[in-house]
Amino acid sequence: MRKFLLLAFRNVFRNRRRTLLTLVVVAGGVAGLLLVGGFFAQMFMGLRESTIRNGLGHLQIYNADHLRRDETRALEYGIDDWRQIASLVTGLPHVRGATPRVEFSGLVSNGMKSSVFMGNAVDPSGERDMGFAPSLTAGRDLDGVSAAGNEALLGAGLARSLNVKVGDGLTLLAVTANGALNGIDIDVVGIVTTGFKEMDDRLLRITVPAAQRLLETPRVTKLVVGLDDTRHTDPVYEDLSLRTAGLRQEIATKKWIELATFYRQVRVLFSGIFVFLGVIVLFMVVMSSANTLLMSLFERTREIGTMLAMGTPRSWIVGLFVLEAVITGAGGALAGVIAGNLLGALLNRANLQLPPPPGNTASMAFRVLHEPALMVGASVLVVLTLALASVLPAIRASRLQIAEALAHI
Amino acid sequence: MKSLVGVERVSRQYLLDHSQVTALAEVTLRVRQGEFLAVAGPSGSGKSTLLNLIGCIDRPSSGRIFLEDVDVTSLTASQLTALRREKLGFVFQTFNLIPVFTAWENVEYPLLLRHMPGRERRRRVAEALESVGLAGRAGHRPDLLSGGERQRVAVARAIVHRPALILADEPTANLDTANAAHLIELMRDLNRRFGQTFIFSTHDQRLLQRAQRVVRLCDGKLLDETTGEESDAQVLTAGF
Repeated sequence: MRKFLLLAFRNVFRNRRRTLLTLVVVAGGVAGLLLVGGFFAQMFMGLRESTIRNGLGHLQIYNADHLRRDETRALEYGIDDWRQIASLVTGLPHVRGATPRVEFSGLVSNGMKSSVFMGNAVDPSGERDMGFAPSLTAGRDLDGVSAAGNEALLGAGLARSLNVKVGDGLTLLAVTANGALNGIDIDVVGIVTTGFKEMDDRLLRITVPAAQRLLETPRVTKLVVGLDDTRHTDPVYEDLSLRTAGLRQEIATKKWIELATFYRQVRVLFSGIFVFLGVIVLFMVVMSSANTLLMSLFERTREIGTMLAMGTPRSWIVGLFVLEAVITGAGGALAGVIAGNLLGALLNRANLQLPPPPGNTASMAFRVLHEPALMVGASVLVVLTLALASVLPAIRASRLQIAEALAHI
Repeated sequence: MKSLVGVERVSRQYLLDHSQVTALAEVTLRVRQGEFLAVAGPSGSGKSTLLNLIGCIDRPSSGRIFLEDVDVTSLTASQLTALRREKLGFVFQTFNLIPVFTAWENVEYPLLLRHMPGRERRRRVAEALESVGLAGRAGHRPDLLSGGERQRVAVARAIVHRPALILADEPTANLDTANAAHLIELMRDLNRRFGQTFIFSTHDQRLLQRAQRVVRLCDGKLLDETTGEESDAQVLTAGF
């Protein structure tokens, strides 16, 4: 077997210029896949973490009915005793904290003009503890110390629409949990941006007590749970499901991936693009290597005839050609991984900035993630592709008529 | 002496440009063990075809071929592969060494095919290279060897697994006079020392002179058989 491997290895480097050309194509393909895949992986990771840290959290806890039914009144299916559940959750390993949220909607008015808002009430100190800091463009965050006060953060678009600046007063109107109309006055303490224009045009954030006063209910919509690492989502989810099973109010927990619709859509879209690019790269690799192998077969016809005449099993000839393709693929993949990582490191150091993606307002840094799984995956894929591309020439070689092959010039 | 090869009314026809060409017609021949037999004839007379058929690298259109009493025309492709590996050795006009292997590795190759253990393999290769006078050139690749040396490596490769029969198709055709003479001596010496049977095709008069028996072919037919200068009364019985 060692000699057979040696024979295959030496055959690969018999025509060095041609082999080098094939290696460059294979390495280029692998490096390209690593750069594109690394960029996508970095983008996915960045989007994932920003989605989580922008307030989605790693887990969200709801009243189970909130997910099953449509509410006819505000917070009809909210969580009653959210403090007890928060206390239970924060005692679990890897949990950084659990903070309440109230989701509501209504009208906001500056006395001259009214606009619809999407309300999001938070516990400012709880949010800060978990690192959920709003992206402020002006003013300051909600004050956790005077949380009972009627402070508000406005989305940049909504503030622009209402011609409001930090320090101005507004009136909020909403339908209470009992179906009545209620209003409170608030002071704008900061302007925020989410990076998404549609959100910025509607976002309004106040404290949970203020929202509960507006909606006249002690309930909250959900508890947002933050973990020390996204990788701990599944184990904590399992643990949490077990511990909340016996509570008086039926609780349902959702993982961040189930709630991050935009993240999932982006991932599906870019994964599709990556697969398409991968197919093109593999097609180029197949064409290049198949050509090399066929030329090699033509040049070595008499040699193969000699090997067959000496009693070499035809399966060995197939194996030899496939092994040569695998060696070429492995060499090209190794070179590609090295080149891809070097290029990736250079591009990362260049600190390139990309224009904001559609629907986004912030520019995006071009960074390539050095992903070991991607390196292994791309290498294995290329090696398998080359092995597959070699099968036809290998079978042709093994089926040569010996007498004719020996007479080949 | 025991019969090693039996060729019974063997014919071989080819299709060439939609017309049938007869390369060999009704040839009958017997070769005894230990014989040093030459197949002579002009180009296109069917020498290589006969050797290819005896060497089981081609199949006859009709007739039967026996090797050690086994009808090789009835064997499957994989059985023929095994038979070539075990019983036959080949020397080609153009040497046909594996260019990426050294002389040692080329000679070792038939033993690797037989999965021979390392120690025995090394001993056999060293012996074979020693017997052709190339022990000192074992580490050289074919492109660093002269034509004569390459052909001697080919002979060592053909004999290393001690086959019953060695077939050499025009082995001196690509050699200069001195190397051709050396190769002839070498093959004859191996034939004498180890009793290995050689069948070779040649135009080379010197090689014909060293043969025990010469079979002449013309237009695919067996023309005559003559006794070479080094004939041995024991192996002169030819034909059926």
